[in-house]
Amino acid sequence: MLRIILVLLTALILVAPAHAQQSDFNTLLETHRAKIEKPSRTTISPVLEALATSQSPGVAVFLEKWREKQLWQRKADGRFFYVEKADGGKLKLIDVDTGAEAGLAEQAELDNLKPNSGVRAMIAAKLVQFQLSDPDPERRLQALTALERDANESHLSILRAAIEEETDPAIKARKVRLQLLLTIKFGSDSANRVAAIRSFAGDPGVDARAALNPLLATSVKVFDTAPEDVNVAKILTPGSDIEQDAAYQLLVDAGKARPIVPLAERKQALIANIKDGVVGGVPVAELVTQEARDRAYLALAATGAVPPLVSRDEQRSAVANHVFTEVYAEPDPALTTAARETLSDISTTVGLYQFADLVLDSLSLASIYFLAAIGLAITFGVMGVINMAHGEFIMIGAYTGYVVQQIIPNYTVSIIVALPLAFAVAFLAGVALERLVIRHLAHRPLETLLATFGISIALQQIAKNIFGTQARPLTSPSWLDGAWVYNDVVSISYIRIAIFVLALAFLGLLLFILNRTRLGLEVRAVTQNPRMASSMGINPDRINMLTFGLGSGIAGIAGVAIGLFAKVTSELGSGYIVQSFMTVVVGGVGNIWGTLAGAGMIGSLQKVIEFFNPSNTLAAQTYMIIFIIIFIQFRPKGIIALKGRAAGD
Amino acid sequence: MQRSLFVRQPSVLIFIGLLAAFTIAITVLSEGFGLGLVSTSFIKILGKTLCLCLVAIAMDLVWGYCGILSLGHFAFFGLGGYMIGMWLMYERTKDIVIASLAGAELPATAEEIREGIGTQIFGVVGGAEIPVVWYFADSLWAQLALVVLVPGLLALVFGWLAFRSRVTGVYLSILTQAMTLALSLYLFQNDSGLRGNNGLSGLQNIPGLTHLPQAVVSVWFFLASAFALGVGYLVAAWVVSGKFGSVVRAIRDDETRIRFMGYPVEAYKLVVFTLTAVIAAIAGALYYPQAGIINPAEIAPIASIYLAVWVAIGGRGRLYGAVIGAATVSLLSSWFTGGQAPSIPLGFYTIDWVDWWQVLLGLGFVLVTLFVPKGIGGLFDRLVRKDAS
Amino acid sequence: MSALLEVTSISVSFDGFKAINDLSFEIGGQELRAIIGPNGAGKTTFMDIVTGKTRPDAGRVRFGEPQLDLLRLSESQIARAGVGRKFQRPTVFEAQSVRDNLMMALSNDRLPLAVLRYKPSTADTDRVSALAEEIGLSSELDRTAGQLSHGQKQWLEIGMLLAQEPKLLLVDEPAAGMTLGERQHTTDLLRRAAETRAVVVVEHDMEFVRRLDCKVTVLHEGSVLAEGTLDHVTANSEVIDVYLGR
Repeated sequence: MLRIILVLLTALILVAPAHAQQSDFNTLLETHRAKIEKPSRTTISPVLEALATSQSPGVAVFLEKWREKQLWQRKADGRFFYVEKADGGKLKLIDVDTGAEAGLAEQAELDNLKPNSGVRAMIAAKLVQFQLSDPDPERRLQALTALERDANESHLSILRAAIEEETDPAIKARKVRLQLLLTIKFGSDSANRVAAIRSFAGDPGVDARAALNPLLATSVKVFDTAPEDVNVAKILTPGSDIEQDAAYQLLVDAGKARPIVPLAERKQALIANIKDGVVGGVPVAELVTQEARDRAYLALAATGAVPPLVSRDEQRSAVANHVFTEVYAEPDPALTTAARETLSDISTTVGLYQFADLVLDSLSLASIYFLAAIGLAITFGVMGVINMAHGEFIMIGAYTGYVVQQIIPNYTVSIIVALPLAFAVAFLAGVALERLVIRHLAHRPLETLLATFGISIALQQIAKNIFGTQARPLTSPSWLDGAWVYNDVVSISYIRIAIFVLALAFLGLLLFILNRTRLGLEVRAVTQNPRMASSMGINPDRINMLTFGLGSGIAGIAGVAIGLFAKVTSELGSGYIVQSFMTVVVGGVGNIWGTLAGAGMIGSLQKVIEFFNPSNTLAAQTYMIIFIIIFIQFRPKGIIALKGRAAGD
Repeated sequence: MQRSLFVRQPSVLIFIGLLAAFTIAITVLSEGFGLGLVSTSFIKILGKTLCLCLVAIAMDLVWGYCGILSLGHFAFFGLGGYMIGMWLMYERTKDIVIASLAGAELPATAEEIREGIGTQIFGVVGGAEIPVVWYFADSLWAQLALVVLVPGLLALVFGWLAFRSRVTGVYLSILTQAMTLALSLYLFQNDSGLRGNNGLSGLQNIPGLTHLPQAVVSVWFFLASAFALGVGYLVAAWVVSGKFGSVVRAIRDDETRIRFMGYPVEAYKLVVFTLTAVIAAIAGALYYPQAGIINPAEIAPIASIYLAVWVAIGGRGRLYGAVIGAATVSLLSSWFTGGQAPSIPLGFYTIDWVDWWQVLLGLGFVLVTLFVPKGIGGLFDRLVRKDAS
Repeated sequence: MSALLEVTSISVSFDGFKAINDLSFEIGGQELRAIIGPNGAGKTTFMDIVTGKTRPDAGRVRFGEPQLDLLRLSESQIARAGVGRKFQRPTVFEAQSVRDNLMMALSNDRLPLAVLRYKPSTADTDRVSALAEEIGLSSELDRTAGQLSHGQKQWLEIGMLLAQEPKLLLVDEPAAGMTLGERQHTTDLLRRAAETRAVVVVEHDMEFVRRLDCKVTVLHEGSVLAEGTLDHVTANSEVIDVYLGR
């Protein structure tokens, strides 16, 4: 009981000042009614100030409505209302203080207040101040985001004031950062701005660079003598920093030289001056070289019929007699110097982060290649067999994932079901292929290669006949959407992290199977010496079958993983098959670590080439393959090669 | 004891005779030169098939005889096509540009013509400059030389690198496949100078011969293809028949042994690889003017694998086997995928061969590898031997 | 007269295992020599080094007059310089006729372009006939080598080696899998061959080595343990230790 009383008391204490403020707000509006009715830029400031200092909770909404021209005044008593449309063309009045309904009124009984744009801007600035110090942190953040997108000079002082009273440290940091950015942009004091610029040294944020780059905007200008009163970025040497023709064109544009006559105009002039099949003393039929045309034009120019040409020498001397400079738009050298130095500092940091990002990208690509190639590497290593249908096992895995999603709508559950199912389906397909085809082609590796290619085209076409040619989606669960973002430079999507983890898991699993289990022991025995192994009671046929199944099964899992970020089509696997071969060959056959090294090398190589030539991924792949062909020259057996007699002939 | 090629290999004489008879028969039946019983489009298919037979012979030489399963010979075929295509397209465009500029008030300068050609050819990839690789494009003789030189040089350099480091077997196959992939990816770029994925087109219009109807031109190309196939067959038969052929087959069967007999195996492989690349390029240079268009997709790795499939089905290690394989599979393929093969209604499902031909081909090929490893040519041998006994 | 083959202080190791350890070896122009030693003594590796299949980590291999540095030559160049090698397993080209097998082995120019233009001369065909006579395959000249019996293949391979006319013949375990009569025949062939050239026989069948009746070099753990007549080396206590395992 006592507790209820306490709660009630507390509520009362909290509500009481609110009441007081409400009445304050009413009176306040009444006091300033005249100025609110007919606001002007000169008179509105004290009103806004008074409203702001009142601390009343209704002020923000009031300002917003006022700015949006949604504030109405009742002619009868001069009170202010918001309105809503009601039935019968009437308007429903809403009390400015309480937000409660205050009866209906005809439109004619009311005036709509429409302040002019200058006033509205001032209201808006005041409004920002309110939002920035709104008690709700969510609204403060919204206001900050809006400011980050679009701010003007007036916001700077408001923001500075809002920093003081901010209590949330995260929001405060953001406010400080925005304040510094705005200082760079709008600050009036040079020293302040330089300090703000310097504060961003080593900051990889895109916003910092966006604030600094405009300061360094330049334009090329022409001067008669070396300029003194401008902020010069660089003196240009014609011929090396700036093309002769471009320099001369600048002179023409600045009215400091005669315009040259472009080729097309000269041609038109010649055509216009043809008389009886002759122009400038040259028969038209002879004008089949530029040299002849020039001759004819010069002859015409000598008669004054056409504007004379500007000779090369004339152009050159005109260019030589002027100074071409790149001039900063920003006149203050202190600012541009600070911006330049800070930007170069930033670019060092950004470079480091870009390298980190490149490493992440490479790891992610490498883990995809590892997953795609490891199955191939196992079968190649153990059986000496190249399976051209390996890519189609990847495809089978991806389609299995797609079919599972058609049956199980929950994406998380369906992925969990799809992974082992894809393994099982591809495992069975692999075992079937081994038993029906590959076993009968033992010791004929080239024929195995071709026969599995036959399987590959058949499987691809069957998939096309079943699922059609258009891409099928394999949707990842929502918890894999989005990306892990470290800063504006370094980020990686969750799917890729998941694939990386998957690749690590399979690396561990395979190492365990090969090194710690009976099956692994037998596999290694068959790899090293099949005859000896079979004489010791190991059945090589069974081992081959299981190995092939295992390799194919992993391809199926890789298919699900690849399908999550690439569209599932019948050609999904063939896009990876050559890279997988390369991975195996580069890494060295018959060795999981070799495949890992090969995947790492090919993945990072591809990313590095793409980094230096981002616009052209085709060229990147071309260069990568050429690199691999050359690499094979030096390490024909791959990065991690079996050495000595064991490597065989 | 000097025996002529024809005595040692009677099949060569038979083949040349059959080819001549076939060529004459088709010419007589053609629209351009005779009875008009064979349509121009079919003449083109036959002419193209003869070119494919020629590249199949090259494949047989390098794989069936020398044991190098190259998955890259279609790249040389395509390169040959590109080289001749450059001349065809350049000269044809030049004619068009000159014709369009003829009405102008001033006669066109060489620069204006070049500019016009540049815009016409490279406008589609957003350029107007004629790339430097087209330097010789206005000379038929230069481009004909390049048909041989470019693929030949590529084969020489690639072969030298690959054989020198003793890459053999499936490794070598994969490496050749990588080469093909690199080449086709390179050509897919817009700034490769060869019009990216648009490729070269309009190649069926032969500059200087545009006044002739396609019916006539197609027969000429058909005859040229037949002639090239005949010569190619003779050259290949000559190469494989003598001691060189013995050594090459010995390399296929036991590389180490022949090396310890003092034969420089790498040099032999290089000779065979380069020679066959050149044959393939010539075949390509004859094929693409009949096809009318070439683009990078033509030299994707899969095309070279199909080439190996033809030779395997026909029977490798026999030149006529390669011809039979290429002709059978490519003609069947155009029959099935052309929609002419009747669909098979099963009640619940209709087998439409346009969709199922690839499946049939793939599985059929697997069956051939498993049960008829010597291919169709091997069946031939069995028949001949039965007759003899 | 200097030696035909001079091997000086060669060493080679695989993955840390020293297959050949500071081995030196010499053989004269017309000499029959047997190399014996237990398994893993480095006999085959030694032949691999001489024929260019394996590169040693250290040492020199000189051959012929004027002296050639074999370490700088490829396998085929070494073979052309006059080193012939017979492998343990008989290897003839089974898909080709006996005549073609012998033709390929004849000591003519072996470079591709010369071979492409090659037409068999009367001398060449006569030589093939003579060789076929010697190895008893005159009537089989036009048969495919794959149709020959196991023994005939052995003779064909020896015939091919003789056609090569090597100055040095390396023979790896020729007696393996042979009947008594065949062993006798092989011994005769090798001794006759050694009258005009150097012949090195690697063998671990002591009985066969005794029949060859020649100087013997004993290898153990990659180096020479003893050298001399068979009786001399078998009296050596170290050799006894190695063979009997102490």
